[in-house]
Amino acid sequence: MFILKNWKLHAVALVIIIISELIGLIRFNVGPGTVILLPMLYALLLGIALTPKGLNIMKAKDMDDASGFITVTLMLLMARYGTLVGPTLPQIIQSSPALILQEFGNLGTILVGVPLAIWLGLKRETIGATHSIAREANVALIGDVYGLNGAEGRGVMGVYIVGTVFGTIFFALMASFIDVLKVFHPYSLAMACGVGSASMATASAGVLASLYPAMKDQILALAAASNMLSGLDGLYMSIWMGLPMTEWLYKKLYPLKYGAPAPAREAKE
Amino acid sequence: MTFFNIVYITLLTAVLTLVANLVGYKNGIVDSIPGMLILIAICLLGVLMARFMPGKLPSVAYIVIIGCVITYPDFPGAKIMNAYIAKVNFLALTTPILAYAGIGIGKDMDAFLKSGWRIIIVACVVFFGTFVGSAIIAEVVLRMMGQI
Repeated sequence: MFILKNWKLHAVALVIIIISELIGLIRFNVGPGTVILLPMLYALLLGIALTPKGLNIMKAKDMDDASGFITVTLMLLMARYGTLVGPTLPQIIQSSPALILQEFGNLGTILVGVPLAIWLGLKRETIGATHSIAREANVALIGDVYGLNGAEGRGVMGVYIVGTVFGTIFFALMASFIDVLKVFHPYSLAMACGVGSASMATASAGVLASLYPAMKDQILALAAASNMLSGLDGLYMSIWMGLPMTEWLYKKLYPLKYGAPAPAREAKE
Repeated sequence: MTFFNIVYITLLTAVLTLVANLVGYKNGIVDSIPGMLILIAICLLGVLMARFMPGKLPSVAYIVIIGCVITYPDFPGAKIMNAYIAKVNFLALTTPILAYAGIGIGKDMDAFLKSGWRIIIVACVVFFGTFVGSAIIAEVVLRMMGQI
């Protein structure tokens, strides 16, 4: 039971949670999209504010304890996540080949993301930040493989938070801007809308549907199906393809920037 | 981490989530307990499977699959379990995690601030790359199949 003995840490967490949930979800419209602030964001900021750089209520011991078990706290969320996917499985099984194959587009991001991240000077953060679109399952995966208290964890948490706060507005804008190019059929774009979270899919597919009212039903259905599919395969694609690809590319590109092979990764704490 | 420590932390997270679920989403604690117990069982089964099954898959891989299977419409009792689990709001589960994550991040605050702006740029490119990658494949396949 020693791990629960730091009652001060857990009491503080409880207070943070209650305050965050009392503030509740705040959304405001910006242009065509919506910025969404969720209780989890306030919880994160309040947690940070209590550490030595801020109010100094949480000490080094508390921070160590907390970062040591974040990975375990993610498990319940993952169980809930699986239960969101399960009821949609019958529809997913009927998906067309195009819907299934476009899921591999998730890997496209690695080819652009890793070089950029290394060029910008990120080190092992690159792995967490670019291996996938960083939704809940990917955060849990990085936590499981590397631990969330290292560089990889910082990378995946960073992209996760950015996606949570600005994801819907970013996706809504992206859908309309890319549509202007007239390179893609609305059906292809509709499937692309589903690559991230459900709210990203809803926002971007909504924009597309309003641009093509005659195809509204197909657009919304394709985006929803693609989103369900991403929820199912995102984690496994990362385990078997995304993460190995990212590691490989990182090792290849790191010497180009630093002139020396990538150092071995930080040990999982 | 020992199995029992995982059990304790899972139970602690469950209690904190029940509070968040009550305060933020008005789901009563007693009403939400059956669904929460199912989620706890899924987690612990997943952890055990990751330890004893061949293939060295991370426990999240098992946890998601078990969650999927037991809520698949044809699974015995799926409908009842779904109804219980629905009482546990997805977002309520995220708040405790991020509370601890915030406290834990304090330790690496300097590293976070140093890499923060870079990660924001990378995030935008990751979203863009995934979206366009998926659109390209969809376009090619749909054209090859003559569907557009």
